[in-house]
Amino acid sequence: MSEERNMVTVYILGEHFMVPEGSTIMTALEYSGFQLKRGVGCREGFCGACATVYREKGEYKLKGGLACQTVVSDGMTIARIPFVPAEKAAYNLEELKPDVSTFVELYPSVFRCVSCNTCTKICPQDINVMDYIQDIIKGDIASAAQTSFDCIRCGLCALRCPAEIVQFNVGMLAQRLYGKYLAPKSPELETRVAEIEEGKYESEIKRLKVLPKEELVKEYYERDIKIT
Amino acid sequence: MYPEYMNASLKKVEETREKRYALAKERGKEVFTPQSEEEREAVLANYHPDYKDDARREIRIGPNKGERITGRVADVLESWPRDPSSRFDLSRIDYETDILIIGAGSAGLSAALEASARGLNVLIATKLRLGDANSMMAQGGIQAADQKDDSPVLHYMDVIGGGHFDNKPDLVEALVNDAPKSIKWLEELGVMFDKELDGSMSVKAGGGTSRNRMHSARDYTGAAICKTLRDEVYNRPDTIKYIEFSPATELILDDKGQIAGAILYHLETKEYSIVKAKSVVISTGGFGRLHIRNFETTNHYGATADGLVLGYRAGANLLYMDSVQYHPTGAVFPEQVVGFLCTEKIRGLGAQPVNKDGELFVYPLEPRDVEAASIIRECENGKGVKTPSGLTGIWLDTPLIEMLNGEGTIESSLPAMVRQFSRFDIDIRKYPILIYPTLHYQNGGLEINEKAETSIPGLYVAGEASGGVHGRNRLMGNSQLDIIVFGRRAGTYAAEHVLAGVTIGRLTLEHVDRYSEKLEKLGIDKKRISPVILPDYIPDHVKAKQLTLNYFGTLT
Amino acid sequence: MENDKTETVKIPYFPGCTLKTTAKNFEQSALRSMEKLGVEMVELPKWNCCGTVSSLASDDLMKHLAPVRDFIRVEEMNNTGLVDNEYRMLTLCSMCFNTLKQTNIRVTSSPEDLQSVNQFMYLEKDYEGKVDVTHLFELLDSMGFDTIAERVVRSLDGLKIAPYYGCLLLRPKSVGIDNPENPSIIERFISSLGGSPVMNWEAKSRCCGSYHTVDNKAIVIKSVKGIIENAREFGAETIITSCPLCAFNLDNRQEDIMKEFPDFDPMPVFYFTQLLGLALGLGDEVLGLDDNCIDPRPLLKRSGLYE
Repeated sequence: MSEERNMVTVYILGEHFMVPEGSTIMTALEYSGFQLKRGVGCREGFCGACATVYREKGEYKLKGGLACQTVVSDGMTIARIPFVPAEKAAYNLEELKPDVSTFVELYPSVFRCVSCNTCTKICPQDINVMDYIQDIIKGDIASAAQTSFDCIRCGLCALRCPAEIVQFNVGMLAQRLYGKYLAPKSPELETRVAEIEEGKYESEIKRLKVLPKEELVKEYYERDIKIT
Repeated sequence: MYPEYMNASLKKVEETREKRYALAKERGKEVFTPQSEEEREAVLANYHPDYKDDARREIRIGPNKGERITGRVADVLESWPRDPSSRFDLSRIDYETDILIIGAGSAGLSAALEASARGLNVLIATKLRLGDANSMMAQGGIQAADQKDDSPVLHYMDVIGGGHFDNKPDLVEALVNDAPKSIKWLEELGVMFDKELDGSMSVKAGGGTSRNRMHSARDYTGAAICKTLRDEVYNRPDTIKYIEFSPATELILDDKGQIAGAILYHLETKEYSIVKAKSVVISTGGFGRLHIRNFETTNHYGATADGLVLGYRAGANLLYMDSVQYHPTGAVFPEQVVGFLCTEKIRGLGAQPVNKDGELFVYPLEPRDVEAASIIRECENGKGVKTPSGLTGIWLDTPLIEMLNGEGTIESSLPAMVRQFSRFDIDIRKYPILIYPTLHYQNGGLEINEKAETSIPGLYVAGEASGGVHGRNRLMGNSQLDIIVFGRRAGTYAAEHVLAGVTIGRLTLEHVDRYSEKLEKLGIDKKRISPVILPDYIPDHVKAKQLTLNYFGTLT
Repeated sequence: MENDKTETVKIPYFPGCTLKTTAKNFEQSALRSMEKLGVEMVELPKWNCCGTVSSLASDDLMKHLAPVRDFIRVEEMNNTGLVDNEYRMLTLCSMCFNTLKQTNIRVTSSPEDLQSVNQFMYLEKDYEGKVDVTHLFELLDSMGFDTIAERVVRSLDGLKIAPYYGCLLLRPKSVGIDNPENPSIIERFISSLGGSPVMNWEAKSRCCGSYHTVDNKAIVIKSVKGIIENAREFGAETIITSCPLCAFNLDNRQEDIMKEFPDFDPMPVFYFTQLLGLALGLGDEVLGLDDNCIDPRPLLKRSGLYE
């Protein structure tokens, strides 16, 4: 970033810094001299490492965001949340049933949801977190899996929840139960796995492996492309 | 939103859209003629960053001495260890395990699960957290030839042609054969793949694929896989232990030349620890954060090629470190997302790259290097759009996706992309996005065989850190496949190696000493150290005043 | 008799979690029975758990968010045309009914509390206090038990049925659907189906043991044994209830009782809607008799109500 840019004031853990306008919270931290080790990950909004709580000037509301995805505003106060000491149930997926009883067993706190929606309000992915917790209470695991799917596990929901629910781990369990047990199976996949195990394609691949390069190149450029 | 001066160009894109849509609807015909062998070679030679005169230089040390490799990589390999071997007391073992896995992306996690399944004790050491890896960021998909009109043979052909026929055939064979099995394994672990109502996989095309073969999980494919694997690792605390924020800085060998462990360095306490292991898997990923040729990157913060350095110093050979993958479509606007990945699935769903006049200039699904070079050519020919921060890009016409696949497709298939751009007030359902190639993938790496073995007994490598699977250019969706296939193979064969009975002799860092002697002879600046561990983004004017600065471009 | 073309009434319907998980037979039998009676129960979009137990603390408004959020859904249904000027919110589960209604009374009688709740839920439209929490018994009563009697195709002639109110339909008084000391609504319901209500049995509103079933089965076993024996003493062949928790305790815990008291004679327990459906001619696939713990079919066969 060039030096002529307009600067704004931010308060990192309460301390005052001047950073270029348009910085994300993450680049603002680095601009201010912090070399990040915790609270930083993919830097593109996929890993949930950089959960951040902030308050904008003149506002009383605390907002949640990802440091790598949130642009600073003048007067913003910033606190990073690099780790969430949340409970994760250890389980054997092979032994679980894809229904509500599994959650009663592994995450009983789910049933303490008071529908306050605080989780949804803080979610930086705009996921309807409360809705998927309610889906589980209603026994609709498929809906919970779909609704929670885009979760990147930053953990802000769990930190804000007055009922002490660990939403992101609950969602993960719903997704795994859905993927394993509830999603319809692909018949083609089973067939192909069996064919490969029977060695159906072995000889043709062996032929290609030893084909002189010129012939391989020729076959490659002449290959039939069928995409839709 | 886009600045006003771009409106004229946006209007042209809109005007040509209907016609381009008609082209796309025409069955059995490409919207633009794919390039021939000669055309590909020409565009690569003239426009691909790897082919610039100063892109490569000779490496003067180690197993690949004398080879011309990417300059920045040579710099990192020709660097001093973080500490002299005399600092370490190898007689005091901090952790002892059957298998040490360095790096916790999907390759490392898969390896851990396979080793654990064979009853062995696994220790995962990772620089940041479990799952902090490029694996988590992959959007578009994972290839597997499981459709009726497809086969592993066709997949083999696509992989090897995309890699310019430089791939190791044994590795490609393993990759394509294990692909359907890997999808099945992931599904049994609970990964939610995109499916049709009858359960068949929703598959799309990718650059350089001859069939629709791309399996996806919305545009969170990598995350869906990686977070599932991590969750499963958490489920096995009895056999899998892990240490976070502890990158490995050196491999330890024994006096018989076998792998024997590694030195870990805790990022916060700055303490080192010694791990003794009967087998080691390197799954540290690639090098995007080295910002080769000052390119922006799609890569994770920790992608600094550490595994290459460790393996190379211990004597493992590198393959194809002269080639770098630039993803054709990195964001160039708005400034906050410059370099971010705009998944190839966008083109798989029918979006077309067009120049500032709204014209098609390349087949949208060429292999990545060809597509990227063609985009650079278009920009260098003055057909790109300048951004306010001085970058140039061409349009990727996303609104076509919904014309071709129906309303709602973008939101359901590309939620991450929608989210990413809507944070900056750009609705990709209505407006195209501005893109330019961005540093994406390390095509080469530590050479392995089909068992993921290196030349060092007991040392395995999987995923982006390895070399040979993709030749000199990887196709979309084969990286997610690679990390699962070879991650599992590494875990499996490392376990077999241990189960066959290994006796570790006296631990030693003599290989590091020998390497250091050569560095000394080359007169390498002592401030240049590696592994890099983390990139340094502190601005110069702040850095100039910092009191603790010890090294160039790396973590203090 | 075929449906004589009376217009279908659409009423917002709040199922509650249990009816979607362990008491599906309760829901199914109710939905289909009411269809027969010309009522379409329109499920609230995106409803959430009622809160399960109503908080009696005056400073615990948080616990009332869940019900109020559901009331907002009902008002939305009117605004979006899912129902037409219909603010009755139909519930089947006694516990949901009780919890929802207590909250409704609380927030409609205290403007300050309503304001606090509305302000807390600033992402939602304000609750305007229009909802009328209605139990299915009340709805049936308002439709007239005579009318229902006219629709009966399979009269429950002679079946001696004990009406079990439990706690939640009658108490507190402000919430109760009938006189808490001397209720008659379920008796009248039973009569409309042609059955014989067991009158004045002592245990009809005695607690079943409720949530003690989770951590102190013994309490529940004792209570349920007393209730069943009292019903039998008064001549009952079966018991009906409108509460899934009561149903679970009364029905499933009899198995535990039998283990402890080998001489204990079990008695089938129905959701009231199962008998309603039976009388209206619905089949087993709707009534879900298979899901009842003590198999009620032998009794129904004896009474000529089941083939």
